[in-house]
Amino acid sequence: MTLLDPGMDLTLRPMRYPDFYEQYRAAIRNTWTVEEVDLASDLADLAKFTDAERHLINRLVAFFATGDTIVANNLVLNLYKHVNSPEGRLYLSRQLFEEAVHVQFYLTLLDTYLPDPEDRAKAFAAVEHIPSIKEKADFCFRWIDSIDRLDALRSREDRKAFLLNLICFAACIEGLFFYGAFAYVYWLRSRGLLDGLATGTNWVFRDESCHMNFAFSVVDVVRREEPELFDDALTESVSRMLDEAVACELQFAEDLIGSGLPGMTVPDMKSYLEYVADQRLARLGMPTRYGAKNPFGFMALQDVQELTNFFERRPTAYQVAVSGTVDLDEDF
Amino acid sequence: MSISTAAPLARDTAELVADLVHRLSEGLDGVDAAEVAGPVVAGVWPGATETDLRSRAIEIAASLVVREPAYSRLAARLLSRHIAAEVADSGIAHFSDSVRHSHREGLLSDGVAEFVATNAAALDALIDTEADDRFGYFGLRTVYDRYLLRHPHHRGVLETPQHFFLRVACGLAESVADAAELYALMSTLSYLPSSPTLFNSGSRRSQLSSCFLLDSPRDELESIYDRYGQVARLSKYAGGIGISWSKVRSRGSLIRGTNGHSNGIVPWLRTLDSSVAAVNQGGRRKGAACVYLATWHADVEEFLELRDNTGSEDRRTHNLNLANWIPDEFMRRVEADAEWSLFDPKDVPELADTWGEEFDRHYRAAEAAGKAVRTVAARELYGRMMRTLAQTGNGWMTFADVSNRTCNQTAKPENVVHLSNLCTEILEVTSDSETAVCNLGSVNLAAHCTPDGFDFDRLAASVRTAVTFLDRTIDLSYYPTPEAEKANKKWRPIGLGLMGLADVFFTLRLPFDSPEALRLSTRISEHIALAAYETSAELAARLGAHPSYEDTRAARGVLHVDHWPDARISEPARWERVRAAVAEHGLRNSLMIAIAPTATIAAIAGSAECTEPVVTNVFKRETLSGEFIQVNRYLVADLAARGLWNEDVRQAILRAEGSIADIPGIPDDLKLLYRTAWELPQRALIDLAAGRTPFIDQSQSLNLFMASPTIGKLSSMYAYAWRSGLKTTYYLRSRPATRINQTTVSVPAQAQVPSAEAVACSLENPETCEACQ
Repeated sequence: MTLLDPGMDLTLRPMRYPDFYEQYRAAIRNTWTVEEVDLASDLADLAKFTDAERHLINRLVAFFATGDTIVANNLVLNLYKHVNSPEGRLYLSRQLFEEAVHVQFYLTLLDTYLPDPEDRAKAFAAVEHIPSIKEKADFCFRWIDSIDRLDALRSREDRKAFLLNLICFAACIEGLFFYGAFAYVYWLRSRGLLDGLATGTNWVFRDESCHMNFAFSVVDVVRREEPELFDDALTESVSRMLDEAVACELQFAEDLIGSGLPGMTVPDMKSYLEYVADQRLARLGMPTRYGAKNPFGFMALQDVQELTNFFERRPTAYQVAVSGTVDLDEDF
Repeated sequence: MSISTAAPLARDTAELVADLVHRLSEGLDGVDAAEVAGPVVAGVWPGATETDLRSRAIEIAASLVVREPAYSRLAARLLSRHIAAEVADSGIAHFSDSVRHSHREGLLSDGVAEFVATNAAALDALIDTEADDRFGYFGLRTVYDRYLLRHPHHRGVLETPQHFFLRVACGLAESVADAAELYALMSTLSYLPSSPTLFNSGSRRSQLSSCFLLDSPRDELESIYDRYGQVARLSKYAGGIGISWSKVRSRGSLIRGTNGHSNGIVPWLRTLDSSVAAVNQGGRRKGAACVYLATWHADVEEFLELRDNTGSEDRRTHNLNLANWIPDEFMRRVEADAEWSLFDPKDVPELADTWGEEFDRHYRAAEAAGKAVRTVAARELYGRMMRTLAQTGNGWMTFADVSNRTCNQTAKPENVVHLSNLCTEILEVTSDSETAVCNLGSVNLAAHCTPDGFDFDRLAASVRTAVTFLDRTIDLSYYPTPEAEKANKKWRPIGLGLMGLADVFFTLRLPFDSPEALRLSTRISEHIALAAYETSAELAARLGAHPSYEDTRAARGVLHVDHWPDARISEPARWERVRAAVAEHGLRNSLMIAIAPTATIAAIAGSAECTEPVVTNVFKRETLSGEFIQVNRYLVADLAARGLWNEDVRQAILRAEGSIADIPGIPDDLKLLYRTAWELPQRALIDLAAGRTPFIDQSQSLNLFMASPTIGKLSSMYAYAWRSGLKTTYYLRSRPATRINQTTVSVPAQAQVPSAEAVACSLENPETCEACQ
């Protein structure tokens, strides 16, 4: 039996994919709640924003308002159905919870940043009315719909279609659209702005990284089990898909930053997105495409350990589940 | 968005900034000015001003620090120019101009303004124009973002960093010579007072103290609400709060007045939580408080859950820190795997005001009389404490009996230490009418050390100046409550600490867990204690002993060091002289030494925090002013000297999250020296702390580190800390179970499913295997 064989496997012992189970457990250990994020200081920053910065943040909030809900929908409609492993589904259940927390976080953010009920409604309507956001949403919907008709993955073509959906959500949506959005947040943070948003984003970022890793490990398993699916046509499709995603995110960038803000320009954003897209291709074992460099020094900050000043911020590093019993003679 | 569309004016300005970058790069080895100037010119945008582009240059230079630490110096030089320009915009040229301006805007006191006006020429001449060059970027940025006085409306800074240091010094000085002495220490980054003093010295409301410790409210409504008010007033002026809650009745206790039952301490702490969050410290940072609860209190289990992420929000306090105030009897019962009784303080009020044998007597009598609300296995409760530490980092372990037994203030039985403070380094007596206060400052050991050795003589000189000025803050400080003023003027405690111990070890090439490191660390602490006691006795000779001197153990001939028969004394004769001086003159200060965490001032000085090992060799620092990357400059210098500092090694260190342990090609001696806090045996951290303890009459903020904590490992570690005689411990630091994908570090090209072997290992050893992190 392979991972994508149709069915509702219930067997956890012996466990076929212990790595999925370990990822599930690691995710549990990193539980956070929206109530821990303090957005109060952000309001003071927002009051000082220039028109250009205000435009950027409003668009960003509008994107965040619906982004995670779309991901959650695909998870329920497509991934959970076809990943036929109970331990894999355990992880997906956990991921669904995390998506819910993200939705709640961005809702809280929106309610905090936009006091006017009409503005709030407008932010949610952005997927319909704001072209730069609609284009991204349409891209997502197209890939959700692409396997909508499949109730089981019977043929090779079905499985390839599923892989493309999975890779799209991991590499393009969580792995590129969100990474684009996070870059704006960290750019603001590098200027000492919107600390609350950045704190929550740290946690969202950590979760999204794990979601992406899980999806890629599903791809790895399928590659091991059914290497014949990974033909040139698939590589070609992925490559084209990433191209489209980069273009999609780039037109969003043009809307957000227009002729540029200090340290954040469209050409830099383009290099960054291409750089990230190359990383995704490399992770998938596919030839990289752009050869771009990361121009954002502040993103390098996300790669290094956090040294929280405990007077100012809550550390993001504590674990939730701890095991063992009292013992006074253990080595430590 | 390219040069062609940018206005010609902006392009000229960019060239101007590029020139500045080239000039300021002079003398900085490893800095390529073009790496910064190039992108500034290329990335110019329409309407960009000189200020914009200089900021841009600073950002670019800062982003290169990860590659070459010298860029930090370039960024600092640029920022120093930036600040000078901003100050000049307000028409300020000299120190005395700055003070006059700030005084006119209502930011400084009349006294300081007058002192500076009278001595303008002499003070202006003190400014060391080269001193800014001692800053790294992050230190200077911190000063600029948070410490420099700003115009109340346009928010431009009204002083340069050196004006700021001299202003702080003038706020504490009685003469120009005084000001010069303290300024010289600060401008060389040899000693820095704590943040409240840096914020408020010379201001109209000069609250200079860092921490306040309040005894538990009495078990009555009026007393509880009175404490909230005190906490709010103390918080407002940037003080950190420690408060005990051990005397308030537990859940289910009968309320006689209404014949109802109490809901216990949690609802009260919820109110305290909200109140602390509401009062932000002078608009500069959020209020912060730590609640201490004695381990015999019947609500202790609910107390331990106050910071959990799960469960009812009605019973959570996300802003409060938590600490356990633990009697030895509890630890003995944990060792013996015995039962532990929990009491309602209303039934056994004597427990909260006793310690040591007297406490043990009352505790056993209460057990014998059947007064316990509940009895639990001591190890079960201890296990819950460990769980709280692992899950939240909070629930600090502080030991009541040793804290009282060795405290200079507890010679009379009615004087009791009821708690420590927000950072677990202060141990002072409190009561209903006395709120303990501490004024802190730290010597920077890094500034007293060269590869040739540690300069003990200069350290002694720094300590003497530091103690003199810390003592003076007691008289100059504004006290938000009468209880705080009363206690501080009576006991006159100060808390002199240190920072940069890890810098000393790196400079002298001593691994953190080596016997030489232990010897040096202990000797430094002894040296600081000796100089501090000598100075305090001299001050007593000149100004008189503190008013409650007769109530101290020192007045009975017992110094703190005498409580520690195993103390490693290297200067016995000098201790005898100190003893004689104390016997003759008394002490000006009842307590003198406390090692605070030094989070922000170590950032200013560019050194490692207090006595801590480095957490990683490459890390970002989060502060209110954004995120900063910092590289261990000692490691980079060592790698560069051996031709090993290159792109591959840098990527490998980033991939390994700042560890060099598993990087092929790095020699073993460097791997040993540059182990991170996660890789060092925690026993060594505890042993170093225990070695210092005899010379620390208050306590030390000691963080412990465990990447993947288990209850078993933690319980052994904290039991060892207790047996080693530590008075207090601070955070348990652990690492996240999952992490953000690295965006800028290259991934290995082909990803693989973990091999069967790796999976088996992770299943057997889920806590230790790297695969699970």
